[in-house]
Amino acid sequence: MHPPLSLIWFFLTAGTSIGLFTFTYFMEFLTLFGKNTAMPEKAVLVSVVLSLVLVGLGAVGASFHLGHKLRAWKAIKRFHTSWLSREAVFSGAYGFTLLLFGLAYYFKASPFLMHFFGIITFILGWLSAFSTAMIYASNRFVLEWNTSLTVLYYLNMYLMLGSSAFLALTYHYRPEFITTYLFLTFLFLSLGLAFRLAFNIRQFLISRPTINEALNLPHNRPIRVLDTGTTTNNYCTTEFYYKKGKDLLGSMLPVAYILTFVVPLFLVLYAWITGNHNYTFFALTFLSILIGSGIERWCFFVEGNHVQNLFYGLYPQEGYRLRKGYMERKQTRISLYG
Amino acid sequence: MPQYALVIDLNTCVGCHACATNCKEWNTQASFGPLSDFDPYGREPQGVWYNRIMSYEVGEFPNTQVFHLPKSCLHCQDAPCVPVCPTGASYKREQDGIVLVNYDDCIGCKLCSWSCPYGCREFDEADKVMKKCTLCIDRIYDESLPPEHRKPACVLTCPARARFFGDIEDPNSEVYKVIKERNGFVLFPDMGTNPANHYLPRTETKVHVDEHLLKHDNPLFLEVLRRHHVGG
Repeated sequence: MHPPLSLIWFFLTAGTSIGLFTFTYFMEFLTLFGKNTAMPEKAVLVSVVLSLVLVGLGAVGASFHLGHKLRAWKAIKRFHTSWLSREAVFSGAYGFTLLLFGLAYYFKASPFLMHFFGIITFILGWLSAFSTAMIYASNRFVLEWNTSLTVLYYLNMYLMLGSSAFLALTYHYRPEFITTYLFLTFLFLSLGLAFRLAFNIRQFLISRPTINEALNLPHNRPIRVLDTGTTTNNYCTTEFYYKKGKDLLGSMLPVAYILTFVVPLFLVLYAWITGNHNYTFFALTFLSILIGSGIERWCFFVEGNHVQNLFYGLYPQEGYRLRKGYMERKQTRISLYG
Repeated sequence: MPQYALVIDLNTCVGCHACATNCKEWNTQASFGPLSDFDPYGREPQGVWYNRIMSYEVGEFPNTQVFHLPKSCLHCQDAPCVPVCPTGASYKREQDGIVLVNYDDCIGCKLCSWSCPYGCREFDEADKVMKKCTLCIDRIYDESLPPEHRKPACVLTCPARARFFGDIEDPNSEVYKVIKERNGFVLFPDMGTNPANHYLPRTETKVHVDEHLLKHDNPLFLEVLRRHHVGG
């Protein structure tokens, strides 16, 4: 699949926004149980303003993916069937309630109102994240994405971005929580690594359709694409098959792994074990996760193979062979790099 | 519920692209046009087509067969492109089962094309909306046309008469009968989309030399002899 940069931008901005707000509000929420976890007012306001700006920038950026930006409001119409519609509604509502939470906090409204908006924003933020992940996971024609791992990984990425961003915030405002957030960042990074590895390993095990199945012909007949009816590329071959991306994927995927997991894990573990709480480490951790996640999302799109590519002979090859009188599915012959 | 659809005879289709060309010609000027072209006379001509003809070779040399597969929107009865549309621009008509796009509501998010396993939707970069086969809805209901012309442009133009159009749910229709009699099949049946467009399978044609051709008084005898016995 062709990676739309606007969607990668939305992922990074909305992910950091929702993740950062999650941990900011989580600390406020714990005060309801008598814990002394509240961040200083300035820290909460910095975090809320940052989250608001990020989700706003994300929405503006994501609109570049649309052909008609001014009609985007119409996306609320199919809430009952479309995950994209749900994402639009939840993201918009998240931004709005986040603003209300910020105002309630700034003007020191009653704790009930503040927590009410806080909880609502928290729920809406995660519903928005879930809806975004489901746009990909519910697409049963891109088998690489059509798994619960897509959702788990997506939500975990938001937590990775949020916890690492909040780690940098605790350094300035509540240094006693640095160790806690070092642990949380480590936890989410480890989970993210596990989910991403599982996502990649799964690609070798997917039972893929063949061109015979696409054309509804018996499996024992080899089929070759002679002509696709056009001398150049068309929408289907550019949107669903990104040749340049497939060529680059072999180099980009390791870079994504290194920047998203290896470097941050090293930095976090180093700071945790040695107790050397250097701000540069925390800033670098967040930056590395941010850039790595952008590349990882790029890889996620390029790794996706749409089944319509079968008609063009651009789908990973797999087939059947005759073996001792019965049809045996051939081993998957795709490589990790497309 | 009626379900209008195309039935394409792969046994007759010669892959001449006349259906695709006439489709483009009609639809680029009709209600659902234009079908934009980019760099049409340059090195990389691209454009929106509702109908594309793919050619495949089946079998292993020397026992191969070539067949042509005209592929346009299959107007699936469980169209996966419809529920994913966030604005409701993509919809399936109840009265005839035709899947259409309302260009005024389409925001150009392309999600419907991601949800089509057949690759039958194309984004028009000029109009910034998704376009697809309409089964020439502006022709088939046009009462100003003679009844025999109220058919999709591709059906009317096919020189080999490989294309049929009608209601596949109506037992009296031609398409219902040919699907039933000639084992009409659909593309990607495992995808759960229940496509309305059907294809009639190729039947293997064996050429065999009749006895009477080998008689001495057959004026073609020498030609037959030359081809089959001398290896011409």
